[in-house]
Amino acid sequence: MTPGPLRFEGREVPVLDGDTVASALFRSGVRTFSRSLKGHRRRGLYCGTGECPNCTVTVDGVPGVRSCITPAAGGMRVERARGWPSAEHDLLHVADLAHPLMPVGFYLKTFIRPRFAWRMAERVIRRATGSGPLPADAPATRTTSRHVRCETIVVGAGIAGLTAALEAAAGGERVLLCDEFAIGSRLAPGPTLDAVRALETHARATPAIEILERYAALGLFDGPTVPLAGPDELVQVRADRVVVATGATESHQLFPGNDLPGVWLGRAASAMAALHGVAPGRRVVVVASTTEGVEHLQALVAAGARVVAALVPAAFVDEVPHEAEAIVDGELVEARGHGRLRSVIVRELGERRRIACDALVLSTGLGPRDELARMAVNEPVRLMGDVALEADEPALGGGYLCLCEDVALHDAEQAWAEGFRSAEILKRYTTATMGPCQGAMCGRALACFARGRAEAADAGSGARTTARPPLRPVALQTLAAPVHEVIEKRTGLHDTHVAAGATLGWSSGWKRPISYGDPADEYRAVRERVGLMDVGTLGRFLIAGRDATTLAGAVFAGRVEDLEPGRSRYVLALDDGGYVVDDGLLCALENGSYLLTSTTGGAERMDARLREWAERLGLHVHVLDRTSELGAILVAGPRARDLVGGLTDDPIDAASLPYPGHRELTVAGVPCRAIRNGFVGELAFELHHPRSNGPRLWTSLRRAGLDLGIAPFGLAALELLRMEKGHVYLGQDTLPDDTPAKLGLARAVDMTKPWFVGKAALERLAVLPSTRRLAGLVFEGAADGAGLRGAPLTIGAAVVGRVTSAERSPVLDRAIGLGWIRGGRDGFPSELRAGNAVARVVPTPFYDPEGTRIRG
Amino acid sequence: MAELRTWDPTVTSVLASAEACDRVGDLPGACRVSPGEVALVGDVSEAAVAAAVVRLDPDAVVLDVSDGWGAHSLDGPGSREAFARLSELELPTAGSLVGEVAGVGVRILVDGDRIDLLVPAMVSAHVRDRIETDCAELLR
Amino acid sequence: MTLEIACPNCGARPHTEFAFGGEERPHVSPDVATDFERVFYPSNAEGPQRERWYHVLGCRSWFVVTRDTRTNRIG
Repeated sequence: MTPGPLRFEGREVPVLDGDTVASALFRSGVRTFSRSLKGHRRRGLYCGTGECPNCTVTVDGVPGVRSCITPAAGGMRVERARGWPSAEHDLLHVADLAHPLMPVGFYLKTFIRPRFAWRMAERVIRRATGSGPLPADAPATRTTSRHVRCETIVVGAGIAGLTAALEAAAGGERVLLCDEFAIGSRLAPGPTLDAVRALETHARATPAIEILERYAALGLFDGPTVPLAGPDELVQVRADRVVVATGATESHQLFPGNDLPGVWLGRAASAMAALHGVAPGRRVVVVASTTEGVEHLQALVAAGARVVAALVPAAFVDEVPHEAEAIVDGELVEARGHGRLRSVIVRELGERRRIACDALVLSTGLGPRDELARMAVNEPVRLMGDVALEADEPALGGGYLCLCEDVALHDAEQAWAEGFRSAEILKRYTTATMGPCQGAMCGRALACFARGRAEAADAGSGARTTARPPLRPVALQTLAAPVHEVIEKRTGLHDTHVAAGATLGWSSGWKRPISYGDPADEYRAVRERVGLMDVGTLGRFLIAGRDATTLAGAVFAGRVEDLEPGRSRYVLALDDGGYVVDDGLLCALENGSYLLTSTTGGAERMDARLREWAERLGLHVHVLDRTSELGAILVAGPRARDLVGGLTDDPIDAASLPYPGHRELTVAGVPCRAIRNGFVGELAFELHHPRSNGPRLWTSLRRAGLDLGIAPFGLAALELLRMEKGHVYLGQDTLPDDTPAKLGLARAVDMTKPWFVGKAALERLAVLPSTRRLAGLVFEGAADGAGLRGAPLTIGAAVVGRVTSAERSPVLDRAIGLGWIRGGRDGFPSELRAGNAVARVVPTPFYDPEGTRIRG
Repeated sequence: MAELRTWDPTVTSVLASAEACDRVGDLPGACRVSPGEVALVGDVSEAAVAAAVVRLDPDAVVLDVSDGWGAHSLDGPGSREAFARLSELELPTAGSLVGEVAGVGVRILVDGDRIDLLVPAMVSAHVRDRIETDCAELLR
Repeated sequence: MTLEIACPNCGARPHTEFAFGGEERPHVSPDVATDFERVFYPSNAEGPQRERWYHVLGCRSWFVVTRDTRTNRIG
């Protein structure tokens, strides 16, 4: 612990050994620790165990810090969060006076008209409420995440938790024991602490028990899995069994004045006196209905606090120290004071009596901290210790129900009167239990309230509201720890592209060059000379074995049996509904096996598909994913053959390597499989090669192509090149229910095949009239594709389609595109509007319709 | 502290019937990916393996796929602690398994403190980056 | 946060290693008339359901498990 004072709102506050931020501030005279959410009421120390919101302050710029459980350190900067101009003198407290004008749920019923009123009101409301601004200059730190596997996880390291951990370890299990605080740190010296220390020594000496202190359990998930948020890591614990030994809180009582600074729960008051040496007040009244309460009373007196009165049940009267006046079977009626406690009203033997005091200490019952256990649906969870107790029912006499959200008991009564009649709906309407404590203090009281008023038949309305994670406030960076950003895939030419100054972008999980400079120049290079593109992202699969042809025939819609070695064919993959899901190029190899290329984005899906059908049909076939192993470079343009020819001794004339076909070639010393490809509409060779040879091949091609005017091209140029050919991008130009016919790809289907995936659906659909198709479009009155992409296609006021792709075509000197259009009995429209532009339906391809350039 | 080393592995893929894969499944450096697939890491005689396998499955594929893989090894005390930050998998004392590490499917070879991660070449840079970031203070 | 699925080759693994392949259904129908129902009307049982899973981040095998759709218990 760093020595020295801490700084609090401009002054120094001394810090003693063992101080929490709250005890240091309290000792220095701070009584108002925060202002409540809505009414800006003064709030003082209350629970002492980090559950209520009252002591929340901003430490070193970080808001939401529970000062009662945060160890103080020298040099800390502490401020109170709410209050203007200051928490001590808060003008916004007028909101509390205006409470009658702002009944429960008022913001749901007001500021509706005029509309600008809400915008103004919202700005004011936001300023006035909230937990404080986030630190603007906090550096982003990384929280790590790790996984732990064990047989039993024990949450809570008190007596019950330590005992359960030791039992499980003795049974031969790996145990993880966790506690949100350091073991025993919240206990004053005494027999309980001695017992804890003894068990702790034993547990630390047991190797099978891993102990994590200051790790808070965030929830219970399927597995069972319990994530633990520690100081700088997230630990995801996967166990077979969960033991919840989280103990119980002291009950939050509802009576008028229950939220005044000066009203304490027993543990907070006795810890302040016995652990930190500061009396909770000069005149203390104690209400103790439990054994623990009596222990707190005795601890207060032993620490020197002046207890003027103690309300106890008859059974405990002998335990009351003689310094205090024992009031037997008295009833606490009200706490009074303006901004702080001045007196309490008690009823004794039917008579009301006022006792002047500045501290009221309440230990009237226990409520199990069972939220973690209540999250279990099917998981094996055991409750041990105080958490397994039956909860005491809190008295509902008045005052504040939910401290976090500033919901008074009369707000709940009004909500009930308005017709909101179950704990769950009251929660949503009043926002009770929806604050930082998530019902730790008030959840039981809310359920009690509903149960007390509901009809006997309506049992569910009084049930506790659903327990949800996170159980403790947790920073987003902790939750983000195990989340990995998108996995970036790279080809073997990645560094080459970076060195060439390419602009890279995301495309289906890969980082790919969008452009190396000007996409228009790149486009022209491909149309007029020769261009180079890295297409190593394409899925590549080897399909081998005696049933290879059977598999290909089953998963693709077209005929494959007649595909001869050295030839390739465009193939379509359909789903069971007959809809197009993937496409690719199937190349038959010498020995009855195939090399299949698929789209970049569809590679994983294709892999899964091939394996699925091999398994379902019981085929003897081997599938090898070669996507990572093979690079691929597309050489495209009228000079492509000149370029490749100059680097290979193998023949690549039209007869030796026809379209569509493929063959093995050695190019610049690199062994390749060259596949003729027509995607960009020019003579093109797709050179598939071992990944590690990629840079050498690329550099050789670029160098040899200098005289030819070669240029590398990226995705931007590709978009235009393929569009001028009317080639479809699955997922961009297609809809989930596009059949081959709707896409104009019926030629890729062979209905004479006995079976393929989706065949029956196509048979079924064949009898239905065609009502939608993908069409080529030429636009008049639009400069380029921007603004056209995604635009609806209309006839009059009716929307009859949508533009899926659009670009300005240099060849046609106007904007072109693809889009789907709806037709009817009279066929399909030929002229439509796309915004301000006129769209004419034209046949595709737009460029070189005969495909002579591809087939060269 | 564990040491992280990135290297280019030699990998031979064997795709064959289960019976044929059994033949080569126990060779040093073998990772039995599935009943029908074995990955052999390290120098092997492709011809010898092919011969052994093809006898039982004439359709078997035996191929040098080294280009498709990158390898990252964690070696030394603390290697398992580092691994726990990357994956939920429980590692045996020695052996091989296939599963998710750093979000990708990885082939793992373990021997005591040494953990070899074979990852597809296209995500090798990602995995290296992930190990360096998540295990920073555990690595030499 | 993880459902565990037992891959027949690799053993129990977190569900994040797998891809879900849907309810198990025959891949062909006796006739075109019943094909629509086969494709678009799964039985969607409340209770034990046979379903296909794919070990995408592991051995890349397909297999069938029985999962209770009410409790998420497998097997």
